[in-house]
Amino acid sequence: MTQLLVSEVTLTFGGLNALTQVDMTIAPGIITSVIGPNGAGKTSLLNCISGFYHPTSGTIAYGDHDLTQAPPHRVSTVGIARAFQNLELFRGLSVLDNLLLARHRHLDYSLWHAVVFLGKASQREAENRHYVEKVIDFMELEPYRKSIVGNLSYGVQKRVEMARALTLAPQLLLLDEPMAGMNIEEKEDIVRFILDLKKEWSVTIVLVEHDLGVVMDISDAVYVLDFGQVIGAGSPAEIAVNRKVIDAYIGEE
Amino acid sequence: MATNRWLATGNFFSSYREEQRIFFTALDRSALLAAVCLLALWPLLVTIDSKFMLVIDTILVAVVAVLGLNLVTGFAGLISIGHAAFVGIGAYTVASFARLLGENHVVLTHAWPLLILLGGLVGAAFGALVGLPAMRLKHLYLAIATLSFQMIFQWVINFMDFFNQGQTIAIGRVAWPGGTVTRGQHYLFWYYIILTVIVVLAFAVRNLLRTRYGRCLIAVRDNDRAADAMGMHPGLTKVYAFALAGFFAGVAGGLQAYLYRGVGIESFTLHHSINYLAMAIVGGLGTLHGAFWGPAAIKALDLLVESFSSWVGEILTISGNLATAFKPLSFGLVIVLFLMFEPRGVANWWRIARSYVKQWPFRY
Repeated sequence: MTQLLVSEVTLTFGGLNALTQVDMTIAPGIITSVIGPNGAGKTSLLNCISGFYHPTSGTIAYGDHDLTQAPPHRVSTVGIARAFQNLELFRGLSVLDNLLLARHRHLDYSLWHAVVFLGKASQREAENRHYVEKVIDFMELEPYRKSIVGNLSYGVQKRVEMARALTLAPQLLLLDEPMAGMNIEEKEDIVRFILDLKKEWSVTIVLVEHDLGVVMDISDAVYVLDFGQVIGAGSPAEIAVNRKVIDAYIGEE
Repeated sequence: MATNRWLATGNFFSSYREEQRIFFTALDRSALLAAVCLLALWPLLVTIDSKFMLVIDTILVAVVAVLGLNLVTGFAGLISIGHAAFVGIGAYTVASFARLLGENHVVLTHAWPLLILLGGLVGAAFGALVGLPAMRLKHLYLAIATLSFQMIFQWVINFMDFFNQGQTIAIGRVAWPGGTVTRGQHYLFWYYIILTVIVVLAFAVRNLLRTRYGRCLIAVRDNDRAADAMGMHPGLTKVYAFALAGFFAGVAGGLQAYLYRGVGIESFTLHHSINYLAMAIVGGLGTLHGAFWGPAAIKALDLLVESFSSWVGEILTISGNLATAFKPLSFGLVIVLFLMFEPRGVANWWRIARSYVKQWPFRY
């Protein structure tokens, strides 16, 4: 079974091929990692899936939805959420507001209800708040609920970034280097969150990460990119002995 | 748990509904209620000359306009240098009825609440239209696009016979259930009308800000890439922001048309647009009560400069109007000083004073 199907995606910027004929199938309920050296096209691939770039050729399909030319706000509506590599939070707002914002598409009251703020709007907002609290509880952000995001430490901001993506209630979560620049303890936390997400929330996860140890430990499937091409795909065990992958990325001792 | 309804020492919410409240303590609510009552009652207690009342009315109309400007520039972060043009759209909506039907036609004198509302709606429509470039343009380029709307508006009015080529179009006296509003009642009558409009609109904005329709504005201001990924259409959100601002401006324009009993282009020039922007900045961008402080502060400055220049004129025996020289100078100086030293505006002073009183005698 396939949840997300990326087929023969090519992305070119002028004369530069960021992605060349990339094929990728993502099965539901598992953790799929994308690894590769710097500039291999990992983030470009995520950008294509989440709609910030549109492939020059090839298609991206999510269930019955064709996402090849879909803008980001439509991609998020079908159930794909994304956490950014470089923090893209609403820095001037509190953690709580950042998360409340992400529920935009789940709130169905009209502008008139919003202006009067009786009945439906008030009720939906209370439900919204309740859901957000569940995410805060899950991501262990309780101490920072009312803090302004811009003032928090990098590690916590990364967690807020992930929490915000989670607040969208996605079926597929794209995580772009959630552990970059973290110490070992923070990394362990994030890994624990990712594993719990898979187990308790049954969210499919696509993980872009440089920490090979983490990737090999928690992934169910791994794709290796190099110069915009898939040079290896399979289980972590298969990848670890793949000749091309060792030459391009892992290296030998 | 029994909690003090008047003075809160912490957060004792037991449901998410409680957390939505605008007033956290009964004291907050009563204070606002008292302030509104005071605003409603003081004209009855003291006798005021109509010149002073006109100043108050002008401030209140500006409050309505700046409420809108604050939504688009403060909350959505889109600089609009054409706000006076939107106010003009509202005023000229009313004026066009005067041109078509005659200034004392029953539609103008009796259906004035509808005409003011219509002014708002037409303003919103033009706001959405002018907001369309926001789908593509950002920052300074968008500001220039709004500036061009200001120019187009002035040009069109100046060259249209229908609008009397920018000369004053008279609007008749309105009627209300108690009869026609006379010359003596005029400014007081409109004081109450504008005050009511402000209270309604301010609560509407306050409500809007705690729902997704308000949050999406802040989202596109802070990071429109992330807003996009969160399921908001950034372009349409910006268009919506302009439409909102247009609505408030249009209502302000309608009110102004009736208040001055006439509409002329000289009230809706670029100078006024900049004035509105200055009010929003001095009041405090991105705060609700900034829209109240700003117009009051700028108007107070004007009056202060006027009395100061007449005083200087007496001492130095200078012929000519010193105020015309001092006004632009002080106006520019105040904006620069605010941008440098208090970019969060007078609203920030209010916040500091409030928290000081709340926590007294403790420092924090």
